[in-house]
Amino acid sequence: MIHFCRWLEQNSFILWLDSNVVLSLVLEIMHYSGFFLLVGSTAIVDLRVMGLAGRKEPASGLAEQLQPWMWTGFCMALFSGFFMFAADAVDFYMADWFRYKIIVVLLALIFGVLMFRYVRRRGEAQGFSAAVRLAALVSLVFWIGAILVSVEVPAISGVG
Amino acid sequence: MLSFFMAIAKWLQSTWWALDISGSTWAYPFVQATHFSGLSLWIGTNLALDLRLLGIGKKRRTAAELSDALFWWNWLGLLVAITGGFMLFSSAATKYIPNPAFELKLGIFIPLGIILHIVNQQKAKTWGLTPETPGIAKFMGLIELLIWFTVITCAVSIPNFDTH
Repeated sequence: MIHFCRWLEQNSFILWLDSNVVLSLVLEIMHYSGFFLLVGSTAIVDLRVMGLAGRKEPASGLAEQLQPWMWTGFCMALFSGFFMFAADAVDFYMADWFRYKIIVVLLALIFGVLMFRYVRRRGEAQGFSAAVRLAALVSLVFWIGAILVSVEVPAISGVG
Repeated sequence: MLSFFMAIAKWLQSTWWALDISGSTWAYPFVQATHFSGLSLWIGTNLALDLRLLGIGKKRRTAAELSDALFWWNWLGLLVAITGGFMLFSSAATKYIPNPAFELKLGIFIPLGIILHIVNQQKAKTWGLTPETPGIAKFMGLIELLIWFTVITCAVSIPNFDTH
């Protein structure tokens, strides 16, 4: 893996991208916007399942409306995140906090996707069991954890 | 005018909460995470409504229904973002005040974005009664979307103008 990171970091396209101030800025804007869209749409569905948001709307309708934006946000964050990672691949790879970030983001994403799928399959039926509401809370906690770990990466490891 | 704001900034930076945040390894990322969590709710729900006004995405729910469903969490997101942002600002206020990217973000684009969002949220009740939104709704949705992208651009540009 470290060899791949070294190769990635020294790749001519990545070096060119990293030296281009405007494109680096565009990638950063894309990463933040995508992340906000991903977390915002997932959090609203989690909060709806917990009975705290948009109670007048059926949860399945809200999930159906927001799911495309959740995936759009994810693709934006993943695409830009890859190039942001590539520029300092070795340092990121060596940083423990970056690994924690990836694990927490993956867990949050898995919970988020399962929640969207479950809610959409339930249709217009009202009310959720305590277990489903607990799963929504866990999903929300994972996303807050993902944000926390993400901001810890540059603060603790100095990378990013 | 700048000296007035700098005097306030110096006072803010000497408050107990600002000293606690700047003096701790953990506090700053926690406050930053609070700011980002609020932003995720605020910007995420704003983008969802703007894109619906633009007519992009699923159309089974009208813009009016979506705006209504997101309303309280949208504004709670802003409240959390402002609380976290104010605390972050307090910890290094004298550094932020002369920063042109910060000035543009806080002085022009955030107030403009909030005003436009209030207008869009109110108007969504009439624009968004049918699945297809009118041309003015699409235009206003696009303008608000561009303003929030400008706010994010200013925010990520702040370190580039950092002279300290």
